[in-house]
Amino acid sequence: MKKILLMGNPNVGKSVFFNRLTGANVIESNYPGTTVDYTKGYMKGDSEDFEIIDVPGTFSLEAKDKAEEVAVKMLEEEKGALVICVIDASKIERGLYLCLEIIERGYSVVMALNMWDVAEDKNVQIDIEKLKNILNIPVVPTVAISGKGFKEVVLSIKKAASVGVKEIMERVGETK
Amino acid sequence: MTLTADERWDLIEKISNKVVTFGKFKHTLKDALGELTVKPLTGIPIAITVLYGFWSVFSSFAGTLCTDGFFVKLFDGHFLPWIQSVFPGVGGWFYYIFVGDPAADNCFEAFGVLTSGLFVAIGVVLPAIFIFYLMMALLEDVGYMPRLAVLVDTIFHRIGLHGYAIVPSILALGCNVPAVTATRILETKKQRFIMMTLLAIFIPCGAQLGIMQEVIPESIGIVLLYLIFGYFIFGFILNKLVPGKSPEILIDVPPYQKPMWNNIARKLRMRLGGFLKTAVPFVLLGCVIVNILYLAGTIDWLAKTLTPLLTGWFGVPGETVGPLIAAFLRKDLAVAQLSTIEMSKYQMITSVVLVSIYFPCIATFVMLLKEGWKNLIGSFAVLVTVIFLYGGLINLIWSLLGVQ
Repeated sequence: MKKILLMGNPNVGKSVFFNRLTGANVIESNYPGTTVDYTKGYMKGDSEDFEIIDVPGTFSLEAKDKAEEVAVKMLEEEKGALVICVIDASKIERGLYLCLEIIERGYSVVMALNMWDVAEDKNVQIDIEKLKNILNIPVVPTVAISGKGFKEVVLSIKKAASVGVKEIMERVGETK
Repeated sequence: MTLTADERWDLIEKISNKVVTFGKFKHTLKDALGELTVKPLTGIPIAITVLYGFWSVFSSFAGTLCTDGFFVKLFDGHFLPWIQSVFPGVGGWFYYIFVGDPAADNCFEAFGVLTSGLFVAIGVVLPAIFIFYLMMALLEDVGYMPRLAVLVDTIFHRIGLHGYAIVPSILALGCNVPAVTATRILETKKQRFIMMTLLAIFIPCGAQLGIMQEVIPESIGIVLLYLIFGYFIFGFILNKLVPGKSPEILIDVPPYQKPMWNNIARKLRMRLGGFLKTAVPFVLLGCVIVNILYLAGTIDWLAKTLTPLLTGWFGVPGETVGPLIAAFLRKDLAVAQLSTIEMSKYQMITSVVLVSIYFPCIATFVMLLKEGWKNLIGSFAVLVTVIFLYGGLINLIWSLLGVQ
């Protein structure tokens, strides 16, 4: 069964994602560090089933605490896994840092720009189409707590493929 | 191909310049509330109000409404007399274990599995856990916890931790077991060791709080003060003694959020389910074991042997040996049992503090073991020292005040 890792910075809504995708029950809270160990669950896709793993939040792949160590170890152990990178849309830069690190290591990534509503509140506008073109990976705006964008995330899983960081650098130069 | 951190940040800047536009920042009500609750001048009074509100709802809902208003009447008025009359074999050991004292007129004193065991688990602790977790889920989901962390940061630095230590500390007030796992958010081994040791020793769990406010409502404040002082005094000492680093951290404060009721309901269900499945059997088993030890005469023998120590050093009656044994399994049961032993108010306070700081309950012990046996041995050494020093100190305070 294909594995999907849910990764991202702390407190961006990975556990809410996990519960929605799998129908499982993991504790969700509005503070960073709720998930300190990984949880597995299963999701039915339209053509195949997936095993989904809720990974503790981390800012980078250089672990700073025990919960981050768990995250990095998970990623290293699941070489063939697909990664749904959950990003706080209102703090996109730090999310991109982790996301790029994961892309550089050759994983197929789907990017979920979560907390889209919070970003709107803060008047942060993101050009999804441009971001998609630069990164060449699926990018989906989501609001995990209300369920917005989930269908599209699930549909995008098929489209995700490993991309080269060099190409990303080239494309960003060409984009206006 | 992989990038260096600088190259990566450089690329991110380029990407974000192309795709992100930051509009004018609107100062919303949420932001204003957020600032009011982290600035010390307004934040500290708000924090005190929130915590006081938490406590008063906790004690009036669990204690006054559920336990005294309903379960005491149900158990003592109807269930106890009924089971005392229908259970066969009065005077036999089987009756003693399951129903307890046939002359008892309340469920604390009977001390049988089906009387005290059920009453403590369902009548006292369940409502306490319910209201505690309901309010905690609210605080968690609204996003108040990280703000509390910012406020208490300075104090926690004195004991080698930082503001974020408030998260495992408050979780421990519900149950020490998930709190031990939550210490993983602390960065260094030193911090995790200090946190685990302090919470296992000084933080009473929800079950224990529930029973304490039922059996010693007039002295619970003093017991909690002793525990809080102990937490900081020994935290301060551990910070000096334990080698290692206590780094600074930057805390991410998330925006306030409207709580989602289905999420709160789900969390509540999971945590209560966990309590019913893991804690209740231990309460009942604790009753069985303690009753067997009484029947076998082990507790009387231990009480006699340990009386010089218990009375001489801690100033409490030798009979407290029974509750101390029960405390291995469940602290709520131990406190319930203490309440039936005859002693002065001050001896009671000392014994309840002793039961609290003494050995963690078996479930917490297993969790500590999972996080590493070296830590566990260290925590254990601290624990033994703390009991003798702190227990002796409390007794000394009472003697100096002349209230023993």
